[in-house]
Amino acid sequence: MRTSAVAGIVFANVNDNLLKKLTTKRSMASVPFGGRYRLIDFALSNLVNAGVTNVGIITKENYRSLMDHVGNGIYWDLDRKNGGLYVLPPYSTGGAKRYSGTVDALAGAKDYIKHCNSDYIVICNADVLANVDVSSAIKAHIKNEADITVVYHKGTVFANSGETMLLGLKGDRVTSVDFDSEGGAEAAFSIGITIVGRELLLRLVEGASEEEYTSFNREVIAKKIKQLKVCGFEHSEYVAFMNGTDSYFRASMDLLDADVRRQLFNSERPVFTKTRDDMPTRYGTKAIVNNCFIADGCVIEGTVKNSVLFRGVKVEKGAVVENCILMQETKVGKETQLNNVISDKNAAIGDNMVLKGTAAKKFFIKKNQVL
Amino acid sequence: MKSKKCVAMLLAGGQGSRLGVLTSKIAKPAVPYGGKYRIIDFPLSNCTNSGIDTVGILTQYKPLELNDYVGSGKPWDLDRNDGGVHILPPYQGQQGGDWYSGTANAIYQNISFIERYNPEYVLILSGDHIYKMDYSEMINSHAQSGAACTIAVLEVSLEEATRFGIMNAHEDGTIYEFEEKPKVPKSNLASMGIYVFNWDKLRKYLVEDEADPNSSNDFGKNIIPAMLNAGELMRVYRFNDYWKDVGTVESLWDANLDLLNPKLNLDLSDKKWRIYSRTGGMPPQYISESAVVENSLITDGCEIYGSLDYSVLFENVTVEPGASVEYSLVMPGAVIQKGAKVRYSIIAENVVVGEDADIGGDPAVVGTEDWGITVVGADLIIGSKAQISANKMITENVEEGAKI
Repeated sequence: MRTSAVAGIVFANVNDNLLKKLTTKRSMASVPFGGRYRLIDFALSNLVNAGVTNVGIITKENYRSLMDHVGNGIYWDLDRKNGGLYVLPPYSTGGAKRYSGTVDALAGAKDYIKHCNSDYIVICNADVLANVDVSSAIKAHIKNEADITVVYHKGTVFANSGETMLLGLKGDRVTSVDFDSEGGAEAAFSIGITIVGRELLLRLVEGASEEEYTSFNREVIAKKIKQLKVCGFEHSEYVAFMNGTDSYFRASMDLLDADVRRQLFNSERPVFTKTRDDMPTRYGTKAIVNNCFIADGCVIEGTVKNSVLFRGVKVEKGAVVENCILMQETKVGKETQLNNVISDKNAAIGDNMVLKGTAAKKFFIKKNQVL
Repeated sequence: MKSKKCVAMLLAGGQGSRLGVLTSKIAKPAVPYGGKYRIIDFPLSNCTNSGIDTVGILTQYKPLELNDYVGSGKPWDLDRNDGGVHILPPYQGQQGGDWYSGTANAIYQNISFIERYNPEYVLILSGDHIYKMDYSEMINSHAQSGAACTIAVLEVSLEEATRFGIMNAHEDGTIYEFEEKPKVPKSNLASMGIYVFNWDKLRKYLVEDEADPNSSNDFGKNIIPAMLNAGELMRVYRFNDYWKDVGTVESLWDANLDLLNPKLNLDLSDKKWRIYSRTGGMPPQYISESAVVENSLITDGCEIYGSLDYSVLFENVTVEPGASVEYSLVMPGAVIQKGAKVRYSIIAENVVVGEDADIGGDPAVVGTEDWGITVVGADLIIGSKAQISANKMITENVEEGAKI
């Protein structure tokens, strides 16, 4: 396949409202995850690992942290003469409204889609955590002569999902779709990655805009399931949706499982991110660390258990951190105890403090907050 | 081409034979250090932090890995439209060509590279040392003094002075004599191998040195003495921070373990003076339920199930359950299998230490006379239950149960 045969589109603001505490000042795509990543790293790496060199990121609000993170795409090798990375914020021409749905968003990116020169477009949601073999999905799409291919996972449908698309399958063919927000059922469901021919996508989006449709899944794929050849491609490995603080916390703790780590961080399909040139993490003489996922640049003098620590976290002597997610540059003072705490970037917690959430309700510390 | 105030030339061609098997496949500047760095990251990061954006790297011995590592210079912000980093191996011209016969000859053969930038000053660096230094201050001091050459020096003890090139200088910093490894040192100012020259002067002495068939074409042995004899103004530039030569197995081991001492003056987390490196994009490290980790430095990609004390683990190292690593360096990709014991050792890249193998010895047990760091060369396999005592250099695979 020629280099420019496939282009990618990433929806950066998917379900921002479901992860409110972490998205007050950032998009879903730039929510920090897993010690050193932002959620969009998974979508971008999935695309890049499939040889995609032209990616448009559709965003509508709160995109400063996203712009800062992706830059010119250099960390994903997307700083290209031919193609590369395009951030596609909304136009604001005299009171134009912001995107209200995926159809609108795609219509807003029409120029990008028109000019990206590819045969196929891979559309990805930034709220999905999975390391997906997109290359094989594209091959299946071509082999099946599909109009649309939806990447799906078989398992228990996640609760509280905004709009999970359930697939009725006959072999590779999707024969029916349904939508679910309750969760709990066993089904094949879309993991937010859709492959579609570029020209077909343009036609579908133009048609849907005229009809004033909003959702590409609900109103384009669902309504045209009989006219179009819609196929499925199974991703059988780990997947998680970021549709609430609970699911964010659970997915973070999943990283403590060796199987999950193997499925998410595959050396054939590495997950790329912006590098920070931290020194390695230093463990002090009195450090006790068990069952933790820890990024570089931390200094740990105290006790840390069952936790995820981002780059540059400092845990001082006598401090005890359990069941926590501490984001970049969080400082934990001497003799302080934290349990079930999520701290956003640059939080500073003083000496001798006791902060405890519960398994059901985490104690949340805002970005730059000093306690 | 736009003129540059200063061009840096980094001597990276040496074999580093005192590092034994650690440099059997790679040049010394490419030797891993401090968990995620290579030795060359220090001079390169110092250059970029000092505002020097044009760096020539002179390579000769086993350059493949070094070339690959430096690449376009991107990790150090040295991928520039104008200047940037350039790998300079020996080359052939119309009159034939030669290997670099010495440090001065290496620069001599690249006069045309330097002249493309028409610099006022040339900074000569080597790829053997761990230190953070603002070269721009040294260059300013050189420019203000009007010297032809300024040499960075470090105060060492008089006992240590016998191992260094010693600059004998007057109170005002003017050098009157240079002695290589003096038996009875007159001064304790050791040369750090960092020189600033006025380019026109250096050029003149390089050309003269090249014309002398008896010269060994070396900065320390030939260029510096020749300039002193000719009465050129040469000055010392005093440096007081952390600086360590990592030319021997023991000094490399020592300099790594120095990073575990928070009181030491080598802070690699200083955001104003980052040490950059090319990293592999590994996920964070995982420290398991059964792990015991104290007093150690661990890097992205490691999976720790055993116990660690006083050690530096590089990227992507696995320490399996029941294995222990003490007072050791474990380089990228190595695996320490179940129950294996590693102490006072350097385990090079991608080594597999088999189950229940026992490597290295504690000086308190072995006795200081027989003691030394044990080194296992890159990509080797140490069979299970193999025993390797202190002070061994392992260059071949070791069979299961073997005793060395």
